[in-house]
Amino acid sequence: MADPSSGIEIAAASVVLGDRPVLTGLSLRLTERRIGILGRNGSGKTTLLRLIAGLIAPQTGTVRVDGFDPFADRRAALAGIGILFQNPDHQILFPTVEEELAFGLAQQGLSQSEALARANAALASEARAHWAKAPVTSLSQGQRHYLCLMAVLLMAPRTILLDEPLAGLDLPTQARLARRFAALPQRLVTITHDPASVGDCDRVIWLDAGRIAADGPPSRVIPLYTAEMARIGATDADADLAG
Amino acid sequence: MLTLTLPVETALHRVSAAAKLAGIAGLGVILGLTADPVLLAAVFAGLWLAYLPLGPVEAARLPRRLWLLWPFVLVIGGWHLVRGTPEAGLVVILRMLTMFGAATLMLLTTRFDALLAAFSSLLRPLERLGLPVNRIALALAMAVRFIPVLTQRASDLAEAWRARSARKARHRLLVPLAIAALDEADHAAEALRARSALV
Repeated sequence: MADPSSGIEIAAASVVLGDRPVLTGLSLRLTERRIGILGRNGSGKTTLLRLIAGLIAPQTGTVRVDGFDPFADRRAALAGIGILFQNPDHQILFPTVEEELAFGLAQQGLSQSEALARANAALASEARAHWAKAPVTSLSQGQRHYLCLMAVLLMAPRTILLDEPLAGLDLPTQARLARRFAALPQRLVTITHDPASVGDCDRVIWLDAGRIAADGPPSRVIPLYTAEMARIGATDADADLAG
Repeated sequence: MLTLTLPVETALHRVSAAAKLAGIAGLGVILGLTADPVLLAAVFAGLWLAYLPLGPVEAARLPRRLWLLWPFVLVIGGWHLVRGTPEAGLVVILRMLTMFGAATLMLLTTRFDALLAAFSSLLRPLERLGLPVNRIALALAMAVRFIPVLTQRASDLAEAWRARSARKARHRLLVPLAIAALDEADHAAEALRARSALV
């Protein structure tokens, strides 16, 4: 398959949240189709995802996605990048399914009626036409995840960022979503603490304390990561406080 | 986020949001024109009838929604009792309950996108003054949408309290609730930014 976009380029980027440095002098060039970012809780991986999505700007350094600055150029970012939040309740803004799906399309310039028509067509093509008028509160957690993914896909971004996309879902839902992700033509960047879900990636980056601990094919990075996690887990794993 | 939207559709859902907003404004004027407690009580009872098409569950829920206003009823009622003007107090309280009930009815039967569109068109004349009308409309509609969200957060907090305490929470949840509101606003801002160039 042709390269879906020219790639993500991060040059010497640092992010400080409050007084705490979260990412320090990070440089990465991501051009693969399937990229996994591994790390423990608090390693800075969600911050890295928000940086790539343009939700935050780096204090120093630059971020470019397909050549544009995702923080400054929001119109380009809307067309270029979609982000699936870890918690669907933080992503869903609207009371009904079709409004939620139509919102992003309307923001991309479609009229509300066109956006609603597209949202309904998308639901119908996924055999979920009956969801259109349903209150989002009536959906299960897995269904809300699915709704968020549909909302992102409708905007047809070239790159999709996934934050722990399978965490907290039951096994059949995990299998169905994983199948859906695998079939997407877009570039996918998945962040997770679970090495099993990045085993099929073209490239895996292990992030630790805001720096790159290892970077390479999953066959090389995952064993290193797993061994280190087992070593830490054997001692007192989570006594240290951030900051 | 959670909402007031009902799972059933009624005739009121098909009335335009602008018409409902105008209706509420009109009701406010009418309530201001009369100070007869009997007449006001009749209008209030009429409002309850308007809830019946929403189904027995929602109609029965109205008293509980109105119960939210008890601190205001207490302060206004108390003040007028002290002043020796109980009838004037009753008039103010009836007006307040009726307007609250009417506004809740509108929120229950109006889709968020319709409300957003109504705010946008009402504010449209201000565009000539250079005001960012779409952003203001979005902010107004979001503020309305946050009411049920925060109500839900409050009841979640109360539940978390009850899970670990035998005492009543009362005012002790106010600070956590204020923090939860800021937290909720942060998440909404980020979710908006992720899919909109307006923010």
